[in-house]
Amino acid sequence: MATPIPSPSALRALRASIAPYTRHSQQVRHATLLRRPKRPYTFTQLIQLSDGSAFTLRTTNPQPVLKSAKDIRNNPLWHPSSQKLLNVEEDEAGRLAAFRAKFGTVWDSEGEKGKKGDSLLDIIGGAAKQTDAPKAPSKAAPAAPPPAAKPAPKKK
Amino acid sequence: MALRELPYRTATALCRDARPTVNAIQPLFRRNASTDAAPEVETTSFADAAAKPDAVVKDFDPIARSRARRRGKKQLPPSRYQYREPKYYRGPLHPHQPLPVSDPASRRFQPGPFTLPRLDQTYQSTIAQDILAMTYQHYPPGYRAPKVEQRLREWQGDSPYYKGRPLRGPRGKGEVLRLLQEPRTFRNIPKITKVVVHSMVPEAMQDSANMHVAGMILQAITNVRVESHKARHNVVGWGLREGRYVSVTATLEREDASHFLEKLIDVVLPRIKEWKGVPGSSGDGHGNISFGLTPDQLALFPEIEVNYDAYPPKMIPGCHITIITDATSNKDARLLTQAIGLPFYGKLND
Repeated sequence: MATPIPSPSALRALRASIAPYTRHSQQVRHATLLRRPKRPYTFTQLIQLSDGSAFTLRTTNPQPVLKSAKDIRNNPLWHPSSQKLLNVEEDEAGRLAAFRAKFGTVWDSEGEKGKKGDSLLDIIGGAAKQTDAPKAPSKAAPAAPPPAAKPAPKKK
Repeated sequence: MALRELPYRTATALCRDARPTVNAIQPLFRRNASTDAAPEVETTSFADAAAKPDAVVKDFDPIARSRARRRGKKQLPPSRYQYREPKYYRGPLHPHQPLPVSDPASRRFQPGPFTLPRLDQTYQSTIAQDILAMTYQHYPPGYRAPKVEQRLREWQGDSPYYKGRPLRGPRGKGEVLRLLQEPRTFRNIPKITKVVVHSMVPEAMQDSANMHVAGMILQAITNVRVESHKARHNVVGWGLREGRYVSVTATLEREDASHFLEKLIDVVLPRIKEWKGVPGSSGDGHGNISFGLTPDQLALFPEIEVNYDAYPPKMIPGCHITIITDATSNKDARLLTQAIGLPFYGKLND
């Protein structure tokens, strides 16, 4: 039995369905290879941003977890009004920290106050500081909350 | 009759606004189903939400999860009916026709989507509504939009061949018909349709290794097989020879595009030192926004950083990233890309 010739509309529909793979400006008389699409292998990766939030991605990167140190959450370009981010010092190689550890005085090394309690300056200034020691926490307390109470940077 | 009712009417008129105090006090003592839930809802904030993820990161084990998912389930037994699609397309009149692409038995079938990217979730839950609210133009009832006139030119003259000829485009070289600005509705909120990452490597004319490195890098960062392109013309100034392979592109759609944009915006762009943002002059007026990355900036992608040694450092190319949206103007396209998290700087082109 002879195959009936398909109607023009059926042909058009067929052509549309296979269009992306048989795209020719002219008539092609040879058989066209239908290629299997190639896709790179991808893994599921968990990306943890610097503020602790995490989300998953499909990537070609085989690491299961990526923790980023510098990203959208702590970049001043995305948070132009944040004083906390503007005042952060650029110290990626750790040179400033190393200098401060070596030559820094008490005033410089804010974080290491407990460690440097017996340095010379502390002993000298100890008597004078004891009088206003109770004041210092009360002064620091009102200053500290605003950054904490500030609403967290809006997502996206 | 009316007079007899008068005192009653006066009393109701006066008492209309006065309510018993019991009604005012009642809400204080009433107890709703949500009363217990309310304090918990109020204390929740974005700042506290960051406390959990450490556990998430520690327990994250995709391999164990997929193994657990497969544990109880055996594969389906093979079916006796096994159909193989023809390997070649032999023309529309051939009795053995290829299957449509959407059929899983087809050779060209691409499975997916596998995930719902975070960017898509954000778009559906917030960005789309925000854009609709920001760009909505209200018209009073009874307003009729002015009729759009024919924007194409007619063929003027007395040649008989002008009769059935298609209309002419706008006057001037390089002029194109601008897109129509349809009024904003919930149906035409701009969204990202595609992302095209393009890298031109003219050095590939001398040494094809450049081309291979560029292709591998683009494939690594985009999760998509790249397509390479030949130079279409001889350009003496740039040393281009017609017919030589000079560039690679990766076209990302749907899931791939969202994953790529998330990675780009959240991780890669903030790492670039002294990056000012996307130039405000970017945008072609038809809803596409593009910007470029230099080789140093491209090397900041985590996929490239993880095995940076695999790529010859001098052959790492730069790239252009074009975000294709279905917005009809620069302004709308910029609104969308800003909502996604791309900063713009400089003079904006509207």
